[in-house]
Amino acid sequence: MNSFEPQIIAFCCNWCSYAGADLAGVSRYQYPPNARIIRVMCSGRVEPQFILRAFELGADGVLVAGCHIGDCHYISGNEKCQEKVKITSELLELLGIDRRRLRLEWISASEGAKFAETMRSFTEELKQLGPSPFKEVK
Amino acid sequence: MAGLDELIEETGAHDCVECGKCTSVCPVARINPKFAPRLIVLRVLEGVSDSLSKDKDIWSCITCEMCNDMCPYEVNYSGFILGLRTRAIKAGNLPDCSQSGAVHTYQRLMTSGVKQNRLKWVTPEMKIKERGDVFYFTGCAVHLGALFSDKAGELKNTPANYVRILNAAGIEPVVSNDEVCCGHDLLWAGDEDSMLKLMDKNVEVIRKSGAKTVVFSCPECLRTFEIDYQDFLGDFDFELVHMSEFLLDLIDKGKLSFDSNGGKITYHDSCRLGRHLGIYDPPRDLISALGMELIEMQNNKEKAGCCGVNAFANCGEVSQKLQLDRLLEATATGADEMLTFCPKCVIHFNCLLKSPKLPVPHEKVKILVREFGNVLAEHLQKKGDR
Amino acid sequence: MSEELVGAALIIGGGIGGVQAALDLADSGFKVYLVDSSPSIGGTMAQLDKTFPTNDCSMCIMAPKLVSAGRHRNIEIISNAEITKVEGKAGQFKVTVTKHYPYINPQKCTGCGICAEHCPIEGPNWFDENLAPRKAIYVPFPQAVPLVYTIEKGMCIGCGECQKVCSAQAIEFKPYDEESRVIEVGAIILSMGFDKFKAFKKREYGYGIFPNVITNSEFERMLSASGPTGGHIIRPSDGDIPKRIAFIQCVGSRDAQLGHGYCSSICCMAALKEAIIAQEHEPDIQCHIFFMDVRAFGKEFEEYRIRAEEEYGIKISRNTRVAGIEEDHATGNLIIRYYRETKNQEDELVEETFDLIVLSVGMVPSDDAQRLCKKLGVKLNEFGYCWTSDFSPLETNVPGIFVCGTFSSPKDIPDTVAQGSGVAAKVGSLLSGSRGTLVSATEFPEEIDVTGQEPRIGVFVCHCGINIGGIIDVPTVTAYAKALPHVVYAEDNLYTCSSDTQERIKEKIKEHRLNRVVVASCTPRTHEPLFRNTLREAGLNPYLFEMANIRDQCSWVHMKEKEKATQKAKDLVRMSVMRAALLSPLPTQKVPVKKAALVIGGGLAGMTAALEIAAQGFPVHIVEKDRELGGNLRRINYLITGSDPKKILHEMIRKASENPLIKIHLATTVENISGYVGNFTTTLSSGEKIEHGVIIVATGGVEYRPKEYLYGISPRVVTQTEFGKMLAEDKIDAKTVTIIQCVGSRNREFPNCSRICCFTSITNAIELKRRHPETTVYILYKDIRTYGFNEVYYTEAARLGVVFLRYGEDSPPFLNENDGQLELIVKDQFLMEEFIIHPDLVVLNAAVRPNPDNERLAKMLKVPLTKDGYFLEAHMKLRPVDFATEGVFLAGLAHWPKLIEESISQACGAAARAVTILSKEELEAEAVVSCIDESRCRGCGRCEEVCEFSAATVREVAPGVLKAYINPALCKGCGACAVACCSGAITTKHFTDEQILTMVEAALREGVA
Repeated sequence: MNSFEPQIIAFCCNWCSYAGADLAGVSRYQYPPNARIIRVMCSGRVEPQFILRAFELGADGVLVAGCHIGDCHYISGNEKCQEKVKITSELLELLGIDRRRLRLEWISASEGAKFAETMRSFTEELKQLGPSPFKEVK
Repeated sequence: MAGLDELIEETGAHDCVECGKCTSVCPVARINPKFAPRLIVLRVLEGVSDSLSKDKDIWSCITCEMCNDMCPYEVNYSGFILGLRTRAIKAGNLPDCSQSGAVHTYQRLMTSGVKQNRLKWVTPEMKIKERGDVFYFTGCAVHLGALFSDKAGELKNTPANYVRILNAAGIEPVVSNDEVCCGHDLLWAGDEDSMLKLMDKNVEVIRKSGAKTVVFSCPECLRTFEIDYQDFLGDFDFELVHMSEFLLDLIDKGKLSFDSNGGKITYHDSCRLGRHLGIYDPPRDLISALGMELIEMQNNKEKAGCCGVNAFANCGEVSQKLQLDRLLEATATGADEMLTFCPKCVIHFNCLLKSPKLPVPHEKVKILVREFGNVLAEHLQKKGDR
Repeated sequence: MSEELVGAALIIGGGIGGVQAALDLADSGFKVYLVDSSPSIGGTMAQLDKTFPTNDCSMCIMAPKLVSAGRHRNIEIISNAEITKVEGKAGQFKVTVTKHYPYINPQKCTGCGICAEHCPIEGPNWFDENLAPRKAIYVPFPQAVPLVYTIEKGMCIGCGECQKVCSAQAIEFKPYDEESRVIEVGAIILSMGFDKFKAFKKREYGYGIFPNVITNSEFERMLSASGPTGGHIIRPSDGDIPKRIAFIQCVGSRDAQLGHGYCSSICCMAALKEAIIAQEHEPDIQCHIFFMDVRAFGKEFEEYRIRAEEEYGIKISRNTRVAGIEEDHATGNLIIRYYRETKNQEDELVEETFDLIVLSVGMVPSDDAQRLCKKLGVKLNEFGYCWTSDFSPLETNVPGIFVCGTFSSPKDIPDTVAQGSGVAAKVGSLLSGSRGTLVSATEFPEEIDVTGQEPRIGVFVCHCGINIGGIIDVPTVTAYAKALPHVVYAEDNLYTCSSDTQERIKEKIKEHRLNRVVVASCTPRTHEPLFRNTLREAGLNPYLFEMANIRDQCSWVHMKEKEKATQKAKDLVRMSVMRAALLSPLPTQKVPVKKAALVIGGGLAGMTAALEIAAQGFPVHIVEKDRELGGNLRRINYLITGSDPKKILHEMIRKASENPLIKIHLATTVENISGYVGNFTTTLSSGEKIEHGVIIVATGGVEYRPKEYLYGISPRVVTQTEFGKMLAEDKIDAKTVTIIQCVGSRNREFPNCSRICCFTSITNAIELKRRHPETTVYILYKDIRTYGFNEVYYTEAARLGVVFLRYGEDSPPFLNENDGQLELIVKDQFLMEEFIIHPDLVVLNAAVRPNPDNERLAKMLKVPLTKDGYFLEAHMKLRPVDFATEGVFLAGLAHWPKLIEESISQACGAAARAVTILSKEELEAEAVVSCIDESRCRGCGRCEEVCEFSAATVREVAPGVLKAYINPALCKGCGACAVACCSGAITTKHFTDEQILTMVEAALREGVA
């Protein structure tokens, strides 16, 4: 019914979320093919600019995924990430982008199912939201 | 785009006799001896072929216009730099941007025409209009306050505070959700194209509002309208006024008053409001109207030091030195707070103040740097008080 | 003496255990000869499709290790070979190895496979369990190491077709086909694995008669995407997809009739895994597993069992030893009769029909191995496995000959790998004096300087058998890659990770002057090191490599959307290519190694590791928080094997205390750890600072203090440990003793199994029964998990009259005290009857719990914990004693509950892994680090503020000028500083803004198809 296929950029930390995405594969959890994963060593490496730029280039949604709080391979990178995502989300809202288009999730290396579920629900949510307004004018 | 020759012509750069006065007053050159404004001009005048694509010095200029002010031959040095930058990015010579360029990206995102959610700060008790005589151009303070929440989160309150002040004087300004960034930073980062798109949107928004007067709190927005927009579009049929002038007028007319318990204040002339636009006294008069004591820094008005960064490009050691010098001066006045209208100055100075490491003991630069309106609003006398 | 030691080891058997031992020894300065009777190393693990409990693709995780062994300078693989003679003694063996050259010159064969294409003869294929034929000239599997073809002598008709087509002229029909050589080694490791029980011996199951009765190994090959059916599950009789599959457990195991009184340890989990994977392949399949007990005792196994039942709906029957199988000749369907519990609590005999039955055949020791042991004088146990003892699980009766893996007892992969490392420690200790005498350092060709060169990218797209190629249109992706900017070469490979492809990549780098390489295959997390190494061998900096994950994150997760998956694969390749164009070579830096170890925890595992490391000549610090060494071993009073734990403990403490290389810090804790692999500085609670290169975590576990069953309320309710002490002091005065299993484990909060409690219960019950035969002993259990040889004690306990009552998951026993009399109500799951017992003593088999200190230590070490609170190793299957953080290792109960011999094996393993670092003078440091552009740095100190590793510091470089500095040896490359830096002065190498933003741009340039 809804033929719109959202484009998602997913920043995943190497140690937890990227591994979780691998585990989703190893476990053959199926999810929609809308996301393109970009591996970073730590979610704390994700700068507001990476997210803003994705939207500028027409992404419909951006997922930032890191280790659960307390589990960061680099101790607190995910906490720093949380702060940056918060301010970016604030900025996006001012710019007219629905806050739901930027998601922050904690996905561990053992949560393949959660990774797949996140992909499913995010894709679904973005389908409901429709194309990013910036995509139209890109 | 016009060629270099035209730029040289327009800015009067060919009049440069290489007297070196610009370099002797240049704050950047004072710290970085390798930087010399006149050499940049010279290289272009002599047609050094790759200066546009390679010369990083064009980004090191902080466009403070100390040189413009001093030049005996009235070379528009900052205009010259601006023209070079516009041409340089097309040649692949890019500035080193702070925040990896996030500021420029969010500003560029406004060129799209996507419906914003810009007026989140408006609360029900504020009186604002869609059409009217007075348009308050709020600028990016809220956006900057969000992005730099760790340094200058207070900026998020700036537009709301000005609206409250204007409301107190019985003015119901137009504030528009369709206002966009003025394009100042993009322009000075060489992206003239995006600035032009933003310009068109802003001018249209103002025209639609029917405003006769546009009030600016942000010096950069005012400078961009006053000089850059009018450069492209010719003179506007609406008036451009700085908030300090506008409020003083209201005070003079008895429509607005402030009350404070005194306090010592020093005032920082931002480059845009001061040297670029020549507005020096109204902010000082406002401080008097606040009932506060103004203590001038050693260098003030035309000689005021710079916050060290222009358009979020090439922030570095030179920027830090300039900020430090200015804040040492400010602290030396013994004032409690340093006020300025420019949100960028607020960010850059606070960036230094909140640095974990400084080359001097932290207590030597112990002063609060705040946006003017946020302080004004604290001392606003409510109607009933009068 | 030491001059006489030969600095080399012979490893017999190239399964995963042997390969691990070979790698650890070779990395510690010893020459290794790895002999295997088959054409390739890899052993049984190579035949598996997936591994439990992570469902990792077996070949995928194993291939990098095989390749590492295959290309290691210090390892010589001698395939198709057997040991014909052994002379000498520990330290100096002379071994005659006879290698069969089946008409192919291994130096010339390139493994291209054209010969097999042309060979006219087809015959049985042992690797695929004879489910599909193969040619007379063959390699067992595509990732074989060494990748050399073999001619099966009995099959070959000598037609010479292969010789005609072999452009390498590798085929030589010589009159002789074997060659013997004598090699000198200091030690011998037996890692000969196991044989599969021959299922036809259990005639009642009709294997070999009923076509639809197959073995678990056959089923495993069927599940494998590269197997004989291409991953399709079919009925051998008619090729139909079965809907109803039964698994019959304990075929050839736990079977006194056959003389196999032991449990094969792995079949329960393997059956659960095979059932899960089968249902993933064909969602309509219904699996029913017939167990005796469900022995899911390993790390997080119980949760896997729960998932199999609850998520996959796999049916489990317990206490159901299937008596026989009947076949419906018309349909080929199979009928099983068994007792099924019903709602009205009476069991009824039911008949169930299945389309396919999988026999979970157990392990038996191999005939060849037993024969060799006779030759070597190595003692075997009653079942024909290599004899070992509980405190010397890696040593045979012959000095200098060691054993690891399933040849000493049935065990799973991680236990085998831990023993592989462990046995390396044993050999290292014996041969320490000759370390480095027979090896040479790895040398790579000089690096090609690519600075200033335009990017020339080569792209290699992997089919991964059908893992990728079955979903994604690989040739299309390859063609697409070819047209991308900077790409000068692109090709697709069946397996890009195979050793022949590595050679090919090197050739292509030369041929096309490639200066960047992109591989589109699986995940960089497992395979990047392999490909980086290939680049180094080709003279390219390893950081000029980039990987696109088109399997784990594409083909496997979009199996039903082939076109979209192909589009995504193109996008991923485009992103990688764009990023690759921006990659810069990164320098590898060397950091010196501080040659000492820190062992945290002075229990059995800690002391064992310390003694092994010291035996190899390196200083060790043991930090123990208690006032004495020994840990939990102090609380063990006797063992069923007859070993005296007290005596052994005292002997161990004496050895550790007297060893001049071991410094013991008692009543001390670790307060702070800084540094990195090879270069740690640790501050102890005493204030002492110690410098060391490696860390072994052996913090042990604790006994759960029960809150249930009146513990702490009734004096007649005790824990198993307390009971052990009472027994040792002979203070048991009870007519009826009831032991309750799984107290604090296998419940909602702690779903996992504590592994050791069944064995402990049975040990104590037997001891009690031997001393007081008149005492009635009940053991109330969920499953009896006496895996391996411990099964015999279960049988013995039953024989001595211990009464075993199974209670259900949802109906735990109820204990009540009335007027000082205990009353226990339990519903037996088998008989479905309620029993009331009046015990005089109730023993609670309290769970093993993680050490509460783990959390604090994990933070200090920056290593993860499992959700239960145990330390989480780098990889559950193949890196059981390593952490993801280099230089930190793990042993004993800190990892998971385990028995004494398992703790010792693991501790030896951790020691061997530690020695691979300590034996080096210097290490290569992480190259992915952040660095400062001083010209942009403001010296504001924000980097210093956010850096968790003290890598960033601000220094005054000139009066009034502050600049940050990042110590590359401390930096872990997380990039937090780059984000915090206001002025953009910090670049995180290999993850620069430009590289990341380019990927964002590339990802969004074309739409999702």
